[in-house]
Amino acid sequence: MNDHIRVALAGNPNSGKTTLFNALTGRNERVGNWAGVTIEKKEGEVKKSLNKTNAQITVVDLPGAYSMSPFTSEESITSDYVRKAKPDVIINIVDATNLSRSLFFTTQLLELHIPVVVALNKIDLVKKKKTEINVELLSKLLGCPIVETISTKATDNGLDELVSKVVSMKGKTQAAPFDNKGIDLSDESSVQAFDKKRYEFVKEIVSKVEKRQISSNKQTKQDAVDRILAHKWLGIPIFAVVMWIVFSISQTYLGPFLADIFVGWIDAFHAWVEGLLGEGTSPVLSAILLDGIIGGVGAVVGFLPLIMVLFFLLALLEDCGYMARVAIIMDRFFKKVGLSGKSIIPIIVGTGCSVPGVMATRTIKNDRQRKTTAMLTPFMPCGAKLPIIALFAGVFFNDASWIGTLMYFVGIVIIVLGALLVARITGEKHTKSFFIMELPEYKIPSIKRATMSMLSRAKAFIIKAGTIILLSNAVVQIMQSFNWKFEVIAEGAESTSILATIASPFAILLKPLGFGSWQFAAASISGFIAKENVVGTLAVVYRITNFIDPEEFVLLSDGTGVAGILGLTSVSALAYLMFNLFTPPCFAAIGAMNSEMEDKKWLWGALAFQFCTGYIVAFITYQIGTLITTGTLGTAFIPGLMIVSAMIGCALYLVKKGDEKANGKLVLSV
Amino acid sequence: MTDIILIGVILAIVGAAIAKIVIDKKKGVKCIGCPDGGSGKSGCSCCRQD
Repeated sequence: MNDHIRVALAGNPNSGKTTLFNALTGRNERVGNWAGVTIEKKEGEVKKSLNKTNAQITVVDLPGAYSMSPFTSEESITSDYVRKAKPDVIINIVDATNLSRSLFFTTQLLELHIPVVVALNKIDLVKKKKTEINVELLSKLLGCPIVETISTKATDNGLDELVSKVVSMKGKTQAAPFDNKGIDLSDESSVQAFDKKRYEFVKEIVSKVEKRQISSNKQTKQDAVDRILAHKWLGIPIFAVVMWIVFSISQTYLGPFLADIFVGWIDAFHAWVEGLLGEGTSPVLSAILLDGIIGGVGAVVGFLPLIMVLFFLLALLEDCGYMARVAIIMDRFFKKVGLSGKSIIPIIVGTGCSVPGVMATRTIKNDRQRKTTAMLTPFMPCGAKLPIIALFAGVFFNDASWIGTLMYFVGIVIIVLGALLVARITGEKHTKSFFIMELPEYKIPSIKRATMSMLSRAKAFIIKAGTIILLSNAVVQIMQSFNWKFEVIAEGAESTSILATIASPFAILLKPLGFGSWQFAAASISGFIAKENVVGTLAVVYRITNFIDPEEFVLLSDGTGVAGILGLTSVSALAYLMFNLFTPPCFAAIGAMNSEMEDKKWLWGALAFQFCTGYIVAFITYQIGTLITTGTLGTAFIPGLMIVSAMIGCALYLVKKGDEKANGKLVLSV
Repeated sequence: MTDIILIGVILAIVGAAIAKIVIDKKKGVKCIGCPDGGSGKSGCSCCRQD
């Protein structure tokens, strides 16, 4: 019978655990050049190419931890796992660029009487800085084997040696260099005194094994760059420019060029299937296949190249360390409105997808801050919303790139204002939080990692298009083809279809926002299943096979083609875009909010807040935009004003109640 | 005859899509086709420290 070895990967945040996990197992789990990316444990088998034995080696990637005494929920996952699951071997990933901080945790792991192999990671960066580490002496002082690793490198990365060391260590015993015997763990002061001694012990080890050429208190080039990029005032405009460049490349230049070629293939496939069907087939069946399935899915998938370019660029920004600086810039605003500094991590994760973004809120300890962050994270435009942004930016606005940038910044402003409102409503406006985030060093981003990240997102997008979006569009097409008596709808009588009769009552509500037709209402409703459905449904109900002109190599613009068919002004198109972006997210994200909030009152409150926000933002955009562009207010201004006033009135009432609660708390605390 | 084949094709496509959703749901995937959003378990109060 083959041996089974269970190995835990443990180490400080941003030491490279998940990168090592991916390198060992061949998986493609999300990595990020900042602390706190991993919030759950993940398992995988070591690749055959690395495992030269018959043993089956299972690796468990654990969230980063600074200590065995957990401070955050993800740290408790790590300490609980290594204590209770008793892995056969622990690989302790030590960031070689920061020995003194990393070894504190190492000494604690060595006390567990589980064999530990230290992976001295990022050794290439140490050599670059001309720092010398006496690995042999360090191994002797710690009493455990040490392997130098570079987990980001494909070959000559030390992983072969690491795996063979792990296999050889199974079942062996190690003596802890610093033991906590005789310490009363229930006595806080004795634990603190002991931790102090441990720090001294680690400091002593580091002084013996490490020789630095550059002292840590010296100002480096990185510090100089940070003084500009993470500057409290300059940081925001720089971020805006960076995002504008990202959107310019992805939505205006490279993205549409690639999308055009791609859409040409989809068109050719559509035409080929149409040719195969010929004239004699049932119009309803061919409409379901051609318009519903191929047309609807094709319209969404057509935006894939734009999204891939965008995610590639965002992955480069993250990998080079810039996004961690953005977190620091935003932290200042978040703290002022009563959010946790940690809230920035879910929000940035949410730019890819709201579901993991909302799930990442569990790292926030304060209950109100966690729930507020879960409620506000979906306001960041996620990957699913990008096709909607790309469609409306391309069809209605010549300069597409500023639309995407604007949506991100409107999202941030809504998050800040929303947090302020929640703090007032809950009566906890006096709460302040502190957030310490370790800034990763700037580095040249890895093209390979960015490509892997982009491909993984592209794969996810295609799976979604081939499942949820395909089914939704097929259902939309069927609902549009029949009336309630299941008779086929005649040409020109679409407003009597099942889809139209369901969507029409909602369309009345949307009149003050400038898009009060049943088609737009139906598209927005289908967007709750998956936001990409907004594009798919519009393609199905307007029978548009693609939104990108294959002949012109540019997105169609102003009042021609698609814009003419949709029949919106650029102002009402912007309002519709904002409505879809800032109303409640898809059902999957709502489900994640429900799981993380664990409170129905909060969930319903969050959904109401999200709906009202989307409605108010769209109303203001349409009415003020129409007033500026035409000199008169838009349609149904008075009914819209009444609805918006009622929403704002409710919010003010809740704020008043929250203030009373807060004042009551202050009186009690005096 | 063409219509019957067409119905078969549509049912096969729709069936494959439903099968993929069902399989993923059984695997515990929360959001099918969401980047990094797949296998996350729901939050539990047991692992929080408020």
